Amino acid sequence: MIDAVGDVTEAVVTPRGWAGTAMALTLLLVGCVLVSLCVGRFAVSPQRAIEVLWQALTAPGRAIEAMDERIVLLVRTPRVVLAALAGAALAITGAALQGVFRNPLVSPEVLGISQGAAFGGALSIFVGIWGLPLLGMVFAAGLSALVFVGLIARVDGRTEIITVILSGMVVGSLFSALLSLIQFVADPNSSLPAIVYWLMGSFSTATWERVLIAAPVLLAGLGLLWGMRFRLNILSLDDSEARSLGARPDLERWVVFALVALVVGSQVAVSGIVGWVGLVIPHATRLLVGHDHRRLLPASALLGAGFMVIIDTLARTVTAAEIPLGVLTAIVGAPVFALLLRRHFGERSSS
Amino acid sequence: MIGLHDATVRFGPRAVLDRLSFSVARGRSLALLGPNGRGKTTALRALLGFQRLDSGSRRAPPIVGYVPQYASSNQSYLVRDVVVMGRAAGLGIFGQPRPADYTAAAEALARVGAARFASHRFDRLSGGERQLVLMARALATGADVLVLDEPGSALDLHNQSRLLHLLADLRAPRDRTIVFTTHDPNHALAAADDALLLMPQGPPLFGPVADTIVPGALEQLYGVPMRLVELPGPDGAPHRAVLPAFAGQRAA
Amino acid sequence: MSSKTLAGLLAAALIVAPAIADDIVITDHENRTVTLPEAAQRVVTIPMPMASGVISLDGSSDKLVGLNPLSLTAIREGILGRIFPDAASISDAVTGTDFMPNVEALAAVDPDLVIQWGGRGPEIVDPITNAGLTTLLIKYGTEELTRQYMTMVATAIGRPERIPELVAWRDDVQQAIAGKVATLPADARPSVLYLGRSLSDITASGAKGNYNAWYIDLVGGRSASAELEGSVSINREQIAQWDPDVILLNSFEPNLDVNWVYTDPILSLTRAAQARRVYKMPLGGYRWDPPNQESPLTWMWLAELLHPEVFDYDLRAEMKSAYKKLYNYELSDADIDGIIWTAQQGDAAGYDQFEAR
Repeated sequence: MIDAVGDVTEAVVTPRGWAGTAMALTLLLVGCVLVSLCVGRFAVSPQRAIEVLWQALTAPGRAIEAMDERIVLLVRTPRVVLAALAGAALAITGAALQGVFRNPLVSPEVLGISQGAAFGGALSIFVGIWGLPLLGMVFAAGLSALVFVGLIARVDGRTEIITVILSGMVVGSLFSALLSLIQFVADPNSSLPAIVYWLMGSFSTATWERVLIAAPVLLAGLGLLWGMRFRLNILSLDDSEARSLGARPDLERWVVFALVALVVGSQVAVSGIVGWVGLVIPHATRLLVGHDHRRLLPASALLGAGFMVIIDTLARTVTAAEIPLGVLTAIVGAPVFALLLRRHFGERSSS
Repeated sequence: MIGLHDATVRFGPRAVLDRLSFSVARGRSLALLGPNGRGKTTALRALLGFQRLDSGSRRAPPIVGYVPQYASSNQSYLVRDVVVMGRAAGLGIFGQPRPADYTAAAEALARVGAARFASHRFDRLSGGERQLVLMARALATGADVLVLDEPGSALDLHNQSRLLHLLADLRAPRDRTIVFTTHDPNHALAAADDALLLMPQGPPLFGPVADTIVPGALEQLYGVPMRLVELPGPDGAPHRAVLPAFAGQRAA
Repeated sequence: MSSKTLAGLLAAALIVAPAIADDIVITDHENRTVTLPEAAQRVVTIPMPMASGVISLDGSSDKLVGLNPLSLTAIREGILGRIFPDAASISDAVTGTDFMPNVEALAAVDPDLVIQWGGRGPEIVDPITNAGLTTLLIKYGTEELTRQYMTMVATAIGRPERIPELVAWRDDVQQAIAGKVATLPADARPSVLYLGRSLSDITASGAKGNYNAWYIDLVGGRSASAELEGSVSINREQIAQWDPDVILLNSFEPNLDVNWVYTDPILSLTRAAQARRVYKMPLGGYRWDPPNQESPLTWMWLAELLHPEVFDYDLRAEMKSAYKKLYNYELSDADIDGIIWTAQQGDAAGYDQFEAR
């Protein structure tokens, strides 16, 4: 037995190993961001791009006049920042939900939050609302989906995980239907393409304004989720165990859900629904740093941010046309997920 | 001090617990016995506060050290991280364990004799080792009441013996309350002061082990003929054991 | 257009049955034979540009009894609603904007002929034919198809005399423009970027099979987005890289005007914006971007903007004469200013030549 335990696998990370992994992931993210800022459809040499960034950092008040400066500072930088934020948001919320549900196949769609958020966004585009009010609508609709799930799932004053998942499916389908209804009545010349494009998910419309709209809420939500990293370990236990350790799992789960709704809502508001990241990145991260949420959450955030930046860089540079993000995340995500699943079950059956 | 007073739990029309009352004082250890389906688990859950009572009341400190039969999580954490979870009650939902919490966890692991597993993966331990770690987690909570769900029922004889020794050790200073459920009356004899027998018919039997873990009561409890035997222990002192009469090969 | 090509066109689109005297027989764009016992008096149009097409071919809105909700929007937004006030009350319940016919609403307006898209599968066609309604299927997107369906519809509604007036006109204008452009040196062709959508996402199209690219080429421009495949989303960085000489904005998005380009930090630095050569496509009897009965006016407008030194169309006079011919309407100068967005883009480069005198 000692030998079997001594078989140190990827999931055993000593504190020193963790510091190294965290450093490596941070450097990876920084590398992805730098590369992404240096490439694009508009020809700017990497030296020039770095020079522009350096000038912007050292002399922030400077007027941005030349095309290459504007491309780097007003098009690429907000886009990369937004992609990184969205990637981190999706990965952390995926990791948190998978922990709370003790189910590796869970993502924000399961709770109906994404569908609710999508409906809220489509509704605001339909009535012509953009910007901060759109964010409000998206978040309110995502949260109301969550509240519906909570109301349906609460039986006898208790909520079982399975009823939460089933209620999430019901509420998700309802909001999907409402979304279809909006698309059906939307004007095909103006609001419909806007809704469809927004739902498809893209960072191509990223601006600093959008970053400023989304970042505060997103970062606050992520910060609070990160603050719960040890509690998530407790919540990943069976309800009775968690209760015996002094937690109130059926209440605290909803704190996690509400934070997820906050984060996912902000992410969906600025970049639409992006699939797969919330599912695949936490799995990959577990292989690197193990299941402990104190490491899983920050490592997922770093890896998710880097992944999203790479995917978005591909989306905007490979062809003259923008490649839809969902297509790329699925092409990369599905095979990776299949591999991870095989590994996961292989490990289970061998232990 | 932990106990139930007039506790009734109904599943539909059936009363699984019917006005059950008992309490265990500080320094004493109680074994809870009963045939399958007679409410042993329900009584334990009621005692832990996991089961809502239809009537009656529960007396317990805010934190009870609970040792489940199996670990529920499919997550793989390091042993030290599992044990430090015992400190969660004092940390709040945004709290992180501090060095002092890790020290408490290490002490608890040492107390159960599992310190060498501290940096191993919990999900790769054997069943016996896991139960020791869960025991350490319960101790790390600092609670002076321990509740164990069928400790040792899934363990081999060697590990059962380790666990019973540990239970007896924990009982020795008489500064804790211990409650455990079991199918094996010998576990009660080894580690309990009192026993509560949830009889299939009639009221439960509650009393010191010497009065309750006796063939007559156990025959009623399980519907199987029981015998009390005395055997020399490893140190030569006589041990009492209870055996079902179906055990062993019939002599010719 | 020569009489020979006209005859050829007619032959391609029509097979006039010799024996049964009065029947009108048409072969449509899916090679179906459409037979009408007499000229259709009650017509429903499901494809968007077809509603104003029928109005112009007939010179009135009397024969149109049902149309696409989006055709109705275009009529209300544009000048057609003022020329034919009755058109605004034609039923748009006959189809969804997805071209799925509502058979009961269709039956309620009792049409002799329903015009529907061809080449988009049987789901949107079968409900109409199953209801026993005579259906004409048209395809769309090129100049040739446009002339064919205009010919078919003129025949079907009993106005064949409109074919030389409206179809031959297209050929005349096309030949005249092509003749002048042929003398242009290759390096005198400005690059022109037509953006199909702008406000939510930005889309552009490749040159292949694209009508906008076709007329950009016709009038002596070069499509900046020719390398694309189909109509796709693009980003600002790509537009900066193409750096087009001229940007054309679509007329579909009501809230879009040229300021969208001038206030954008990236697009405002393109050659087109710097030279103030950004134009929103006019909205006349129909939107000028896709093929429609007014297309020759689109070509003249764009030809004058790209090569004012080569062309000498008097756009106002051409528009007045065309509207008289198409709709029997006396176009005022104020109408023209509304159609070509003088208020929004009168200060754009080259727009001075369109000023009312």
